Amino acid sequence: MNQNTDLLTLRSVSKSYGTVPVLHDIDLSIKDGEFLTVLGPSGSGKTTVLRLIGGLEPLTSGEIRLDGQDISRMPINRRPFNTVFQDYALFPHLTVSGNVGYGLSVRHVPRKEIARRVAEALELVQLGRFTDRFPAQLSGGQRQRVALARALICQPRLILLDEPLAALDLELRRQMQEFLKSIQREIKTTFLFVTHDQEEAIGMADRICVMQAGHIRQLGTPHELYYKPNCEFVARFFGENNLVAGKLGSVQGELRSIETALGRLVCSIRDQPHLKTATDGASAFAAFRPEALHLADAKDTENRFSGTIADMAFAGSSTVATITAGADHAGQRLRLRMPSRVDGSTLKSGATISLAFAPHEGHLVLA
Amino acid sequence: MTALPRLSTVFLAAITTLVAVLLYSPLAVPIVSSFFTIAHGNVDWSSPTLATYVALAENHDILAALRTTLIVGVCTVILSVVSGTLLALYYHSRRSGRTLLQFIIFLPFLMPPIISGLALLIFFREIGLERSLLTVVIGHTVFVLAIVYRTVLMRLQSMSRTLVEASYDLGATGWQTFWRIVLPNLSSAMVGGAILAFALSFDETMITILVTGTQSTLPVRLWAMMRLGFSPDINALVALILMFTVLLCVLAARFLIPRQVATERT
Ligand SMILES: Nc1ncnc2c1ncn2[C@@H]1O[C@H](COP(=O)(O)OP(=O)(O)O)[C@@H](O)[C@H]1O
Ligand SMILES: [Mg+2]
Repeated sequence: MNQNTDLLTLRSVSKSYGTVPVLHDIDLSIKDGEFLTVLGPSGSGKTTVLRLIGGLEPLTSGEIRLDGQDISRMPINRRPFNTVFQDYALFPHLTVSGNVGYGLSVRHVPRKEIARRVAEALELVQLGRFTDRFPAQLSGGQRQRVALARALICQPRLILLDEPLAALDLELRRQMQEFLKSIQREIKTTFLFVTHDQEEAIGMADRICVMQAGHIRQLGTPHELYYKPNCEFVARFFGENNLVAGKLGSVQGELRSIETALGRLVCSIRDQPHLKTATDGASAFAAFRPEALHLADAKDTENRFSGTIADMAFAGSSTVATITAGADHAGQRLRLRMPSRVDGSTLKSGATISLAFAPHEGHLVLA
Repeated sequence: MTALPRLSTVFLAAITTLVAVLLYSPLAVPIVSSFFTIAHGNVDWSSPTLATYVALAENHDILAALRTTLIVGVCTVILSVVSGTLLALYYHSRRSGRTLLQFIIFLPFLMPPIISGLALLIFFREIGLERSLLTVVIGHTVFVLAIVYRTVLMRLQSMSRTLVEASYDLGATGWQTFWRIVLPNLSSAMVGGAILAFALSFDETMITILVTGTQSTLPVRLWAMMRLGFSPDINALVALILMFTVLLCVLAARFLIPRQVATERT
């Protein structure tokens, strides 16, 4: 299991339902053994990507390669992938062990071996005591685990999971997130996990692929997506962010300036060559996270501007200030997040304050 | 329900009772009177007896008719369940001509039986098929097909599409998916449809009279007996048929409740 070899590659894959295009020219490589999350709003084409890989839908154009071999036309039942469906799709007339053993029994694996492997799989998902129950007699979380065991038992090269936790309540979802992650570490199988919940994606994924309107917008580690979003969509969709529109200015080493309504700001362009080569005056956004924004002190020489506090919201471990800044302190809304303190904040609504963020904590995205 | 004022609840109950009595009391009369003898055209209420049932059991015509009915019923059930299920699967697979097909299946069920019966009669004459039990079975199958078809199709449509996808996904072939996933999930609907088909075939009179040869089914026999006059064994026969039909309906209802609900209760 080498994390650097590609298990599965999608090459300029497109999909249309009738005349309606749903996926446009998708390129995606999944590495062997990784936990890759596909993240995007509802309707962005995540399920379609899974169905194409699983073989449940034919491609309109492009190809899918497994270990370098084109499998675009391989029938579903021959592909070494298994799916955990969003509605679990457990067979209602079979018991838990009947469901879990199904994939082996249709391949004519001897009964004894099926029994042994079913017991193992159910042990793995901690359902050893439920072998003879029917799906209707299980809770949502238990059904979820049966569906997982049923997919795992075939020892697939890749497990496809379509929003498997969406139907569970918050507490159970947290538990299942950890559980899935630990199972993936234990069996070292590649997981392709679809979700529309970015917190879930950050918490679980080795890499995240952000989709919007049938396009892949960015593929990277959660850290990369958070600190180096490559477009406005990712910058806004992935975590809370402050975006300030402006025109690109000059490059100074790993920094570049941008003229905005808040004045001249300077942001990092490290490891982002496309921002270095973008023409002067091009439309762009300065982006900085609410936790990077702070009250200016004497050390802050760059990225200083003033604003008015419109609202203070206590959110447990942190407190969020909503600030209006820019011309007449009206044009631009910003958020500032700071650690909460027991004796409360000295900041009050209506106060005018001086703000700043460090240049290396700001980044740029092209508009 | 709790929102309904008390008076209107009482009113509603009264209406319901009245309707039930009006609708079903005629059915009670033959059942009750089948346990009494008839003398000089009047029911003798003084001594209840099973004599009419004994007379019935010794009536060879009736026993022969019963046998015919059962043979026809069983053949009709087999034919209609197999073809109804196949047709439902065809319709569900979204291939061409499905709307026309469905229309044709429903036509004989919705048309007046005398029209269906005459159409069949003319058809059998044209193709030179002698009237016999075979023509009766064909007639009944054409008539009850819609019920089996509809029952199976409804189950198919309520079955999650992802079940079939999951089966393929787990490596099953088309045949394995059909035998191990689709059919077991349809089976209770098929049994329910079979019982309804049997009940319909058991009662069918009009088409049977038109397409049968020399043999009579039970309802046809009953029809013939009534023309000769009202005899006590008719009461007994009606009572038996009634009880049997009710039994079938109760059974059918059991099988047509979705399995999910049934297992949840256990
Ligand atoms: N079978 C289908 N026929 C037509 N359009 C479809 C079908 N399945 C999905 N779509 C459309 O494709 C788009 C992407 O859908 P989907 O992949 O399910 O998105 P997601 O899983 O990200 O919510 C949606 O606009 C949806 O309406
Ligand atoms: Mg989806």
